[in-house]
Amino acid sequence: MLLLAANRNFFEWVSFFLQNYGSRFLQGALVTLEVSLIGTVIGFIIGLIVGYLRSIPDNPMSSLWKRVILKIGKMISTIYVEVFRGTPMIVQSMIIYYGSTELFGFEMAAFEAAILIVSINTGAYLTEIVRGGIESIDHGQLEAALCVGMTYRQAMLHIILPQAIRHILPALGNEFVINIKDTAVLNVITVNELFLASKTISATHYRYYEVFTITCVIYFIMTFTVTRILRWIEKKMDGRSSFELYHDDLGGALHE
Amino acid sequence: MSNAIIEVNHLEKKFGENTVLKDIHFCVEKGEVVSVIGSSGSGKSTLLRCINLLEIPTSGEILFHGENILKQAQLSSYRTKVGMVFQQFNLFNHMTVLENCMVGQTRVLKRNPKEAEEIAKNYLRKVGMIAYIHAYPRQISGGQKQRVAIARALAMEPEVLLFDEPTSALDPEMVGEVLNVMRDLAHSGLTMVVVTHEMAFARDVSSKVVFMDQGVIAEEGHPDIIFNQPKNERTRQFLTRILHQQ
Ligand SMILES: Nc1ncnc2c1ncn2[C@@H]1O[C@H](COP(=O)(O)OP(=O)(O)OP(=O)(O)O)[C@@H](O)[C@H]1O
Ligand SMILES: [Mg+2]
Repeated sequence: MLLLAANRNFFEWVSFFLQNYGSRFLQGALVTLEVSLIGTVIGFIIGLIVGYLRSIPDNPMSSLWKRVILKIGKMISTIYVEVFRGTPMIVQSMIIYYGSTELFGFEMAAFEAAILIVSINTGAYLTEIVRGGIESIDHGQLEAALCVGMTYRQAMLHIILPQAIRHILPALGNEFVINIKDTAVLNVITVNELFLASKTISATHYRYYEVFTITCVIYFIMTFTVTRILRWIEKKMDGRSSFELYHDDLGGALHE
Repeated sequence: MSNAIIEVNHLEKKFGENTVLKDIHFCVEKGEVVSVIGSSGSGKSTLLRCINLLEIPTSGEILFHGENILKQAQLSSYRTKVGMVFQQFNLFNHMTVLENCMVGQTRVLKRNPKEAEEIAKNYLRKVGMIAYIHAYPRQISGGQKQRVAIARALAMEPEVLLFDEPTSALDPEMVGEVLNVMRDLAHSGLTMVVVTHEMAFARDVSSKVVFMDQGVIAEEGHPDIIFNQPKNERTRQFLTRILHQQ
């Protein structure tokens, strides 16, 4: 039954859009998920590396040039974190996407540009979170690791970071959820994510309210599901609360 | 040359303007059990932490078998030979008791996991913690944690083991189990430097007692001499005060 456009009510419009543009919405949602997931993962790796760098203490016993390089590295990382946290992602997008063409003469695909922007942006936020995670592990464990002969890098890798990462997992999940929402701004560089898809669909029929209600529900389903999955993973990671006593074969002999 | 394992000469440590250690001379010979006593803030921890370079001395030298460790870059291998037991245990919380005692062996000494496990179990047996190898630190008591921390240090098979008030963070009923382990270690010939407020341990177990006061070693000698006929007035005052408390 085909109703005249003008006579459709809200629900009829919604069902109209779902039937005719369902796959467009889905594609948009997938792009959103892809960009935010990949961006969060790469951003996390950036955050780990830069956060680690910023945690390295100045060691008066190491060589001068090493100390100078470390100092410069820390300064650059500070500028990076401050600049990317202190400016809107929508503006960064414009500069990086159009700037790459004008400054360096190569054209970036919108999708790659999107991932680059989200990664760098997320990295800046996660750097501070990683550093906080490292600082939340009491200093004694680091000293104990150094005292069995580990280097600072080994102590971080095997002792501190595994615990720090567990601590910041909620913040990491939170960042992922924020990214799902914030990638909407990438429509300005023509990435075909959920927001741009919705904008296109709605413009075709001049129906904004109905289309964006659908969009809103899809965003919510995505963030809600991701939040639940992350909760579940966190619970799993906390592990068992009991342990089994070990029966030692040699134990008896020792007490004779 | 003497058979000193560690020799500290003219050691000075400042925190900003605050001089915490002044012209320290200190020597540990093979098989010795040295107790370091003194009132709070006298610099005992700082001395231990300088010895394994958790703190960088302001000046002076620290010799390990005659070699100045401040001048060479082999920090990691030096630290495997000088173990440390902390007041706060400092176990690795995300690892089981067994893993705590293995990680240094596999990552630093590059022992293979099977061998490391055998060695770890061996020392955990020694400190009476073999039944708990699958437990995580949060699942065991303070005294048990400290025994695991001792096994973790022993598993590296160090030449000297440093203890910084190993029983001070423990409930009174757990002090004994840790002291017993330390007594066994002393009798087995392990070289130990023990910062402690346990005067009975210092008097009965150690071969040498060092009394620190305001950043200097005020007096050192055989426990019988230090406890029964101290020469220094400050030593006498300290002992009277602390023995009175205990
Ligand atoms: N990291 C630091 N920065 C500044 N001052 C410090 C630092 N560590 C220790 N100090 C100071 O050095 C002095 C000696 O401290 P230390 O911890 O060595 O004493 P201690 O003899 O071990 O005392 P306690 O019996 O309380 O453990 C104290 O006055 C302390 O405040
Ligand atoms: Mg102390």
